Amino acid sequence: MIRRRPFTSLFLVLLLALSGWIWHERVNLQAFPDIIAAYTAKEYCSCRYVANNPADYCRGYVKQYVPTSAFSDNPERSEVTASGLGRTHTARWLGERQGCRLTP
Amino acid sequence: MVRGLLCVALLFVTVTAHADTWPDKDWAKGTPLAGPAVEALDAYAFPPRDDATRQGIRTDALLVIRDGQVVYERYAAPTTADTPHLTWSISKSLMATVLGIAYGDNRFKLTDPVWRFYPPMKQHPTVTMADMLHWASGLDWQEDYEFAPLKSSVVAMLYTRGHADMAEFAANTGSFSAPGQAFRYSSGDSNILSAALKGMLGHKAYISYPWDALFKPLGIRNATWETDADETFVASSYAYLTARDLARVGLLMVRNGRWGEQQLLPEDWVAFNRQPFDKYKAGQDEAVPGGHWWLNQGTPRPWPAAPADTFAALGHWGQALYVMPAEHLVIVRYGDDRDGSYQHNELLKRVLAAVQP
Repeated sequence: MIRRRPFTSLFLVLLLALSGWIWHERVNLQAFPDIIAAYTAKEYCSCRYVANNPADYCRGYVKQYVPTSAFSDNPERSEVTASGLGRTHTARWLGERQGCRLTP
Repeated sequence: MVRGLLCVALLFVTVTAHADTWPDKDWAKGTPLAGPAVEALDAYAFPPRDDATRQGIRTDALLVIRDGQVVYERYAAPTTADTPHLTWSISKSLMATVLGIAYGDNRFKLTDPVWRFYPPMKQHPTVTMADMLHWASGLDWQEDYEFAPLKSSVVAMLYTRGHADMAEFAANTGSFSAPGQAFRYSSGDSNILSAALKGMLGHKAYISYPWDALFKPLGIRNATWETDADETFVASSYAYLTARDLARVGLLMVRNGRWGEQQLLPEDWVAFNRQPFDKYKAGQDEAVPGGHWWLNQGTPRPWPAAPADTFAALGHWGQALYVMPAEHLVIVRYGDDRDGSYQHNELLKRVLAAVQP
């Protein structure tokens, strides 16, 4: 089998290795796409409402190499929502001492 | 004769009282540093800033306190003297200072197992408070953020799987070593310490403790310390203070835990903070770990231009609080460094040159 179909065999071995890796890292891989939206919402919220920096500065401050697809800042509720890699997260300012936190 | 002695004693008291300047509502202003050495400091800390590429040294704030007086202060927009700036991992040393006050109150001993105050640590029953403070819990933590985001424990803790209860997330990590035997820098260790403090005090006292025990006595009015959903302070990362307020913590440390007439932190606590962890191996990190502070110790010293008694609280993207007891100096440097250009040693060298008479 290996000698007759060397490429197919190699492909199957690689596929098996990849599946093994995906299974091994399944918890991390599942959480990975959440990072950019959660990071952007939380750190923008703190930049804007804890450190009181201007909105355009905070947009630049949270920029990462992974793009975000949607972003909204609701100053009345001190609530920031960001989306990226198919996930959406929200952070809210809770008070002078507590600052911002991801919800929920 | 007795009157003469009294006069001498009174004079002595007056002189020593005058020798120490303490900030009141505001910092006292000393003679501002001037001359070519200050220009060299400015040139290093505040080069033209490129917000498009975000390359190079990007200092947000630089404040130098000598003998309790401001001798240099400069900010880069939008940061001002009133900005409570994110301190990132300086928060860890702040938590150590808050814990020091609890230590002085006999809330715990360094040899106490952490689980006594934080039951989820029963998974690691022999880890002590001292091990945690040395970042030597033995927990198999991965601190890398930007280069290994998939495997990074700290990213998972702050933003994804761990964010609701960071201490529990950290306590659920496996071990790679026996406690107290190996240094591994860990934001998880710091958050477990934060949860242990909650266990000592109870939730109600804990939630105002950093303010009651540390910030208010020091006259710090604008501190924010974010918590996770379990209302545990994110001791690894999320304290915010103005540069002037962070310098108050520096002054407390430069004066060996004393604030005015009061020994706020026990002297043996500060000695523990400043004692190098003996299992640390040269080169494991950018400076030598003490008790949740960074030390300029070992051979070669991490910052050869600075005296050996220098110690510091350090944070991501260039945040730093440097303390130099023999020089009576406290330096706060806030930044937004997105690459490795900024060097502690170079900044300290230039500050030391600028403060020379």
